Amino acid sequence: NKQTIFTPEQLDAYQDCTFFTRKEILRLFYRYRDLAPQLVPLDYTDKPDVTLPYELIGSMPELKDNPFRQRIAEVFSEDGDGNMTLDDFLDMFSVLSEMAPRDLKAYYAFKIYDFNNDDYICKSDLEKTVNKLTRNELTPEEVSLVCEKVIYEADLDNDGKLSLEDFQHMIIRAPDFLSTFHIRI
Amino acid sequence: IFHVFYAEEKLVGNLASMSTHERIKAIQKMPETMKKKREIRNKVLKEITKKSGRHSTQRGCCTQCLRRTEVSFRRFRNSLSEYVHLLRLWHKTLKIIGGEFGTSVLSYFIFLKWLLNFNIFSFLINFSFITIPQFVAAEPNNLSFTGLELLTGAGYFQQTVLYYGFYTNATIGKMENGTSYNMQLAYIFTVGIYFVICFLILLFSMAKSFCRNFINPQTYSGNASKLLCTWDFNITNEKAVKLKQKNLSTQIKEDLTEVNKEVLNFSITERVVRILIHLGSWVASLGTAVAACAGVYFLSINNLELFMEGRKNDLEREAAMLVLPIVASLLNVLIPFFYSWLGNLEKFQNPRNKIYVTIARNIILKISIIGILCYYWLNIVSASESQCWETLIGQDIYRLVLVDFIFCLLGSFFGEFLRRIIGTTVYVSLGVPEFDIGRNVLDLIYAQTLTWIGILFSPLLPGIQMISFSIVFYVKKVSLMKNCQPPRKVWRAAQMTTFFMFLLFFPSLAGVLSVIAVTVWRLKPSKECGPFRGLSSMYAAVSEWIKILENYIGSKWVVWIYNNLITSELFFFILSVLLLITTYLYWQIIEGRKTMVKLLRKQIVN
Repeated sequence: NKQTIFTPEQLDAYQDCTFFTRKEILRLFYRYRDLAPQLVPLDYTDKPDVTLPYELIGSMPELKDNPFRQRIAEVFSEDGDGNMTLDDFLDMFSVLSEMAPRDLKAYYAFKIYDFNNDDYICKSDLEKTVNKLTRNELTPEEVSLVCEKVIYEADLDNDGKLSLEDFQHMIIRAPDFLSTFHIRI
Repeated sequence: IFHVFYAEEKLVGNLASMSTHERIKAIQKMPETMKKKREIRNKVLKEITKKSGRHSTQRGCCTQCLRRTEVSFRRFRNSLSEYVHLLRLWHKTLKIIGGEFGTSVLSYFIFLKWLLNFNIFSFLINFSFITIPQFVAAEPNNLSFTGLELLTGAGYFQQTVLYYGFYTNATIGKMENGTSYNMQLAYIFTVGIYFVICFLILLFSMAKSFCRNFINPQTYSGNASKLLCTWDFNITNEKAVKLKQKNLSTQIKEDLTEVNKEVLNFSITERVVRILIHLGSWVASLGTAVAACAGVYFLSINNLELFMEGRKNDLEREAAMLVLPIVASLLNVLIPFFYSWLGNLEKFQNPRNKIYVTIARNIILKISIIGILCYYWLNIVSASESQCWETLIGQDIYRLVLVDFIFCLLGSFFGEFLRRIIGTTVYVSLGVPEFDIGRNVLDLIYAQTLTWIGILFSPLLPGIQMISFSIVFYVKKVSLMKNCQPPRKVWRAAQMTTFFMFLLFFPSLAGVLSVIAVTVWRLKPSKECGPFRGLSSMYAAVSEWIKILENYIGSKWVVWIYNNLITSELFFFILSVLLLITTYLYWQIIEGRKTMVKLLRKQIVN
């Protein structure tokens, strides 16, 4: 109960804004600090402006082999380049924890798969996703065929690309999504 | 910019008018960055203090008290949940398993951990309310202890707290202040309340799981969802990631080539032949199940005769007692292999159907074996002339549980270790085995059902099951890491978990409750042992207690509740009718919602 890293108000705010308890928030802070002990101070009461570069985040054991690690870091970072503050770090693992509801996870999964950040998953986004999922083992024709099939099945309003609503509708039909879009830390 | 600002004001106003719990939930669910959420939260808190400042004179001290208790209750609940989180057993192990093998294999280990917690809870309840008082009033044990008892459960253990027969029917009285502990009532109420709590826990877990995973039951898993939704973010091992990517690309290639072969028209003769093959294999599987049951039944009757003959050669007799559990476990292990061979023979069109049919046949086999054993125990053993039939049943169940545990370990050894050695050295084409999730989960459910049946006859059985589950966890984990490869096909973990939870609830717990109900209401307890000796049925303890209570003026309301609510048929009839009406209303509401969903979907598409 006697920790000096955060003020009680800061801890309360973190507890209200994420799905973590106080002990988990402190544990995550120590994980964040372990990535770069010389950059991260032990005293956050004066709200220091510390950002860890993407290379350090991408080297975490939970993320280093994930094919989507760069997109995950970009989606959750403030500057959009993968360099994360402590707030972004906590946000990321809160959404990826098992307590986050389906809609929240679907929203962020949509942003992760939307490579060009235009609020739609178009065919080129899908092709990049398929290549990341299969490690470039499919021929370009096969990739194109698969993407066309996906758009044909999931695009409800027939505009040739997937909007957030199409994506959420598709997620409802995949009950495993809640347990697979989850990183244990 | 102006309408964004206005929307935010509305949001802050909405949040400020909710209760604290709902407000926190709403803020957590918002898809915004942490900075934004913190800003909104601070604005909401300012708004609330402004509002409460305005109304503070109008609010009485009553509502202020209420608010203070609400805040302290929330703080208490938060600290409690933190301590519960501290108890997370095996968090690191589960993370490693999920990292290398994915979510589907992880679901088996999470189910095992959940059952272990359940057994710890059962053991604590039974131990504290039944066994500890019995230690106070224990009679001395005159039998000698030989090592064989650990295996057979008989001999020395017969006169210990392990079995029903040892418990006294007296009222264990304290010295001066006259507080007493009625063992009969304690026994029946502890077991009764424990089963009610079990029922409620299972019901809520099942409903929660169903709600999360079955929102739209008319799913056809198109390839779209397979692609974008099944990447397993849990997998953190480099080799496992590469393997999963390779599997996914193989699956996609297979799907693309299958597109052309989808419409396959069979001729009439081919269709008839396929139906006949299916019928034949169902007949074969049901036939083996019936034959297994008959074998178990005759073996148990033989067992009982052997016991009743009372031959004095104890060692031989007790070794012969082990034949029944060994045969039952052997049947449970070997017949599923026969079923999967049948499944391979049948050539299903959809490979998923093969898995479902095989699991269904295994379930039928296990249910029939447990069913025939219960029939034998309740009808034959209880009517036998033995001195203490409940202890006999307890010993039978103890032996079954123990032998099942040993066979589980052996199964791991032969099924996975030897198979890997054969698959890598002798028949290299076979390859490394996959972890068979379905078979292992059904084994767990079988063991848990046996434990539940045995609680009435041997109150310490959950403790034994607790130890066995912990050992099984470690053995399976080591075997998994060393001998198995990650699953190749997608195993719909979420739906299967809900299905297994449902299996635990419906045939398992419901069957156990009926067995216990028959035992408590219909069977006559033995005359010379146990807490209910001499009564006409175990339930008679409660009715006699109510008769005693009638003489005390202060407890007339208990008697009234008993006479008019618990034993009156009219009350249960009215309750059932109300339940049926509510179910019918909810069903109609669901039908109405389904029609509305169809209409809305048409509107979106057009």
